[in-house]
Amino acid sequence: MNARRLFALAYKETLQIWRDPRSLAIALLMPLMQMAMLGYGVSLDIKHVPLCVYDQENSQQSRALVDRFVSSGWFSISRTLGRQAAIRDAMDRGECIAALVIPVDFSRQLATTGSASVQAIFDATDVNTTNIALGYAEGAVAQANAQIAAQWAAAHGIKPSLVGQVDLRPSTWFNETLDSRNFIIPGVVAVILALVGAQLTSLTISREWERGTMEQLISTPVTALEVMLGKLIPYFVIGLVDAGFCLVSAVYWFGVPFRGGIGTLFTTTALFIIVVLGIGYLISVRIRSQLGASQIALLVTMLPTTLLSGYTFPIDQMPAPIQALTLVVYPRYYVTILRAIFLKGSGLTDLWVPLLGLTVYAVAIIWLAARAFRKRLD
Amino acid sequence: MFERLSVMLMKEFLELRRDRWAMFRLIAPLLIQMLVFGYAATFTVHHVATAILDLDQSQASRSLVSHFVATSRFDVVDVAKNQADITRDIEEDKAVIAIVIHAGFARDLENGRSAPLQVIVDGTNSNTALIALGYISQIVAQFSADQASRAFSPRVGTVPPEIGISLQTRPWFNEGLDDRWFFIPGVIGTLTLLQVVSLTAFAIVREREVGTLEQIMVSPIRPFEFILGKTVPFFLIGLGDIALVSTFGILWFHVPFIGSAWVMLLGASLFLLAALGMGLLLSTFSRTQQQAFALNFFFVNPFFILSGFAFPIAAMPKLLQWFTLVNPLRYFLVVIRAVFLKGVGIAVLWPQLAALAVLALAMLTLSVLRFRKSLD
Amino acid sequence: MNEGTPAIIAEGLTKRFQSFTAVDRLDLRIDRGEIIGFIGPNGAGKSTTIRMLCGLLRPSAGRASVAGFDVEHEPESVREHIGYMSQKFSLYGDLTVRENLRFFGGIYRVPRQQFAERMRFAVAMAGLQGREDALVRTLAGGWKQRLALGCAILHRPPILFLDEPTSGVEPEARRRFWDLIHDLAAEGVTILVSTHYMDEAEYCNRIALIDRGRLVAMGTPGELRGHRLGGDLFEIACAPLGAAVQLLSGTPGVVEAAIFGDKLHVVLGAGGTSAADLPRLLTAHGIEARLPRPISPNLEDVFVQLVSGKQEERAAP
Repeated sequence: MNARRLFALAYKETLQIWRDPRSLAIALLMPLMQMAMLGYGVSLDIKHVPLCVYDQENSQQSRALVDRFVSSGWFSISRTLGRQAAIRDAMDRGECIAALVIPVDFSRQLATTGSASVQAIFDATDVNTTNIALGYAEGAVAQANAQIAAQWAAAHGIKPSLVGQVDLRPSTWFNETLDSRNFIIPGVVAVILALVGAQLTSLTISREWERGTMEQLISTPVTALEVMLGKLIPYFVIGLVDAGFCLVSAVYWFGVPFRGGIGTLFTTTALFIIVVLGIGYLISVRIRSQLGASQIALLVTMLPTTLLSGYTFPIDQMPAPIQALTLVVYPRYYVTILRAIFLKGSGLTDLWVPLLGLTVYAVAIIWLAARAFRKRLD
Repeated sequence: MFERLSVMLMKEFLELRRDRWAMFRLIAPLLIQMLVFGYAATFTVHHVATAILDLDQSQASRSLVSHFVATSRFDVVDVAKNQADITRDIEEDKAVIAIVIHAGFARDLENGRSAPLQVIVDGTNSNTALIALGYISQIVAQFSADQASRAFSPRVGTVPPEIGISLQTRPWFNEGLDDRWFFIPGVIGTLTLLQVVSLTAFAIVREREVGTLEQIMVSPIRPFEFILGKTVPFFLIGLGDIALVSTFGILWFHVPFIGSAWVMLLGASLFLLAALGMGLLLSTFSRTQQQAFALNFFFVNPFFILSGFAFPIAAMPKLLQWFTLVNPLRYFLVVIRAVFLKGVGIAVLWPQLAALAVLALAMLTLSVLRFRKSLD
Repeated sequence: MNEGTPAIIAEGLTKRFQSFTAVDRLDLRIDRGEIIGFIGPNGAGKSTTIRMLCGLLRPSAGRASVAGFDVEHEPESVREHIGYMSQKFSLYGDLTVRENLRFFGGIYRVPRQQFAERMRFAVAMAGLQGREDALVRTLAGGWKQRLALGCAILHRPPILFLDEPTSGVEPEARRRFWDLIHDLAAEGVTILVSTHYMDEAEYCNRIALIDRGRLVAMGTPGELRGHRLGGDLFEIACAPLGAAVQLLSGTPGVVEAAIFGDKLHVVLGAGGTSAADLPRLLTAHGIEARLPRPISPNLEDVFVQLVSGKQEERAAP
């Protein structure tokens, strides 16, 4: 390796980046745009589940139950229905996700037997929403029951409960408010950097092939390593700037608590950027047409990073073969690292497992890319 | 015009056939992705790693622990000896949930006092944490009811557990709450969007870069014919994609398909037209493949994330909800899920279908106009 | 490189792409300071040969050495000693003249103290004084070509490979380009240049005629012109030309008939149709014709004859 040649390559690449302001603007603005969209868009916190109510009785007690649902804050009544069949219709049209059916003898049953049943119907197409809404509904009913039990006890002249109740005292660590944003935003940063990085480098070599400049370049004494470093160094700087944008907006705009050290963050981020740029470069070296390279880049980055990195779908819930597959989805390591640094304040030693994963990755990619670059046309 | 169009079509298919890997490239990744993502995309919470510290060691506390062990929701990974173990389990990611039963738990229950049960949750993944907490409260409620009913028969003066409202839950359309049924149709739509938009966006930019576009444009072909010739093959490829992955979803993942294939075809066609329009539009904004590629990333990812694929549109801020109105995937996901799981028809789905038609028309018109201008 | 050794040696050099043989058992021996012209139709294997000699393609069989280094096993050493200019224009269009030169100067590690002088030379050679800061893509073909040559010789390579350097360049610029090549050769640079312009062949010290991957003939322009055409060459003005070629190609005694500008060049073998018969034969078929005129052959005649001769040989095995 020769410093003079390396400098010439890196300088040339920088000039080319500079001369294409449209691409440079995209490279720098894209992460911010994506941060804004995904940061706000990726949320699982359903605040107001649209609820249809079919109250057959319409008594004081039945209305009190409906009020419980509404005052819990989790439901908002989208429609009041007059017949059972209308529920199906309302759900088909997406007007409600949940429907509460109160029977005609609701308050009478409560008064005579002390118990009554109501029906909660869910549009279970979206299972996660249904699960959460189901929890909310049970919570609302439990609250109502506590009151009913107290009234029943008072009416029968007994002290409420001689059997002690279990008092559930959950304490949440690391993400105390259980705000899904704190969990998702670090993942969003990882995914955006993975996408931007691959996008930056995956065409750098194939473009030179298609323009014919590569033939000129490989007829000179440059080495594969020089070409790779010369290409990657300028993009590494862009990648760091992008990472800076994303991380700063995560902390100062989205208010994700940052409990770790800046040094840890910088080290791990730099390592991750090396990996993502290396992946793009490897694709670019292996596939000589820009069309092919971009198709492959889209294929190996967009969906795998979103679905297999653990940024939304927890890896430990996947079937074992898929879990094994995620080991090669490099953003998963960075997602883990970022979450730990942000929420747990972990340091480099705590993170040795994912760091090892990233390091192995970086070394393997660089090695493969350096080997894959052929100074031949055939 | 049909003659010129058929010549264009012939050329496109010839190019595709020449490329020996093209068919493989089009189909293999699609099926592999379908397989992997079909399994990966799940919010279901099973086997949550749980650590338990039982400082009471009573019959009641053991009974509570057995309630946790009995369900497949929780995997007890550590029976801890002291609080420090518990803390370490959580901090080192060995356990997501820790349950601490303090000494005196049984005594408190016996004496009718409320017995505190400490539950520590790693809230990093808030969704898992929320759902797990829900399960925990269900288990605890069950345990309390069991305790109460045991206590009720010999004693008087307690509230019988059956007093109150019982909630009967009916999850329609997906009784087993299998979230694969939710995600697989979403994966189908997303994969199609991704493939069609990127293929289209690149096709034209490539011709422009290689110089063949100029060659074609000096011929008497009209922009409209050119665009049609370019898009028809991708339209057919897209339809093939949807048919292929849908069949795969139905046969492999056993997602029920109870709706009409015709409604599906209509929805898919309109969706593909909109996706093609989007790809064309992107291509008119890019001069090089590099730019087309960047734009593709720039738009397709948000379209995918902000489609309701996994994250409910209702949970987004208003501004983003408005943005999703121009997202064809948003409408197609409603259509495809409704056709698969609910079996509803045009009478119900017409607003989505109409929106797709409007989007398709708008994007195609816009791209023809822009395309014409970009040639001047 | 030892003083005595030839600059380029190829022995049985062969390149096959699947079933297609692009270069077929090519032997070459080129001395230092020579200008060798590679002449041949498109697809004859000129570019493939040059690319093998530069170490860009791996030979399927045979061996070659450039500047004393084996192209297959020591491609890096070969690259230290050559300059290459490819068929497709391949400087960076989005960089300026100066930036391109500086880039290749860095790549070839031109000593810093010499770089300024070399760059001045390259810029002057390309005639680009005062336009050092223009983006290369804004330059016209001829300038681009000369600049590419400038980049290829920045490091003063003893051997220069130029693959169709003048294709698509206007005649005036082509002439200037050849002047540069001669200047370089005068300094002792070995130059291997491929072209399909016959007039350019005359500028070379020696010519290698290549057709279908094979070396058909090699020699100085004078030697080649003297190559036996298999008969006497006549020029005849007639119209329409196309019909005349068709007619004469099937006539006994006509070795070769080919269009040259607005006239026909006809090679007549012994004991067949005589020159005097030609106008009659042509007019009998409704073709206007003047009297034929005996001429001395130029390179193109030789080339056409050599190439078409082989064609017939293959058509009737």
